[in-house]
Amino acid sequence: MGLHKPIYHPMNDCGDVVVCINSREIALRGEEWRRRAYFHHTGYPGGASWTLAWELHNKDPTMIIKKAVYKAMQGNLQRRHTMERLFIYPGEKVPDDVLQNVSNQIRQLRPVPTRLDHIPEEEVQNFPKVMDYPEDYVLK
Amino acid sequence: MASIIRRGVSFMKNSYISSSARTIVTTKQLNIKELREQKDGSKLVIEGVTLPSLRAQLLVRAQNTNPSLVPSEGNIEKKPCYMCALGLDVKHTDVLILSQFVRSDGCMLPRRITKLCRRQQKKIGTMVTMAQKAGLMINLTPGNCKKDPKKRRDYKKFNTYFDEKTIFMKRIPDQSDKFKR
Repeated sequence: MGLHKPIYHPMNDCGDVVVCINSREIALRGEEWRRRAYFHHTGYPGGASWTLAWELHNKDPTMIIKKAVYKAMQGNLQRRHTMERLFIYPGEKVPDDVLQNVSNQIRQLRPVPTRLDHIPEEEVQNFPKVMDYPEDYVLK
Repeated sequence: MASIIRRGVSFMKNSYISSSARTIVTTKQLNIKELREQKDGSKLVIEGVTLPSLRAQLLVRAQNTNPSLVPSEGNIEKKPCYMCALGLDVKHTDVLILSQFVRSDGCMLPRRITKLCRRQQKKIGTMVTMAQKAGLMINLTPGNCKKDPKKRRDYKKFNTYFDEKTIFMKRIPDQSDKFKR
């Protein structure tokens, strides 16, 4: 958007955009994938439809982020123009003309947890132990 | 005479039946950590071997690290379990801790083996389930489980994370509160 620039004006194109990658890998909390529903109405009678989050993500992996950003913004006339400045890509592939202008990175808020089988064996063996088996326990 | 004989027979029968039905074992308690099978020609030797617990020197206990935190043995009722005493903030992503409470097939160990208090057992059991659902302990899962979340179906195949606050959502009110003015 370019709010930090002195030349900023809503009708002015400052050239600032946000590029979001790997939107296919987003994580939702708990049972949100099957509990969250997205509402759409065609405008005709009986045209209401509710799509679950996992169904929507199957159809378009960029849609959940797009809707989340759209909902978080103020519902004024500027909203649709500001949304034009958000590029969402499902994978890591970004077109070159977008990528060459990237100047900074916004870090993710929630770090990706490490899987147990990705931790090296040595670290697992040297990790402090909390639970100890009772004397008569047969290892399984 | 006949009655005496009958009584004698019944006494014999009782003693015989009771001796066969009762199986009182008077051996010592088995301290077995591992069962070993050895095949020596046509002979099969199965022996139970008491082994030192794995990585025993890395065991962490609150009384060893900070003895002032642990209350004295006078009030046994308020003595916390080892997990409460440590006071760790365990999340469902801490798989290195959670994997210690789990069998090799991914099942949570029962409370008589983990020796936790009820609250901690519930908390850690739920966090193990969370880690399994999020696909963080793929190598410690049941055989019928689709291990990698990407191989699962529908809503299960996408990434999920969990909030530990949801474990104790139902607050059980203290009964003594009812009579407070």
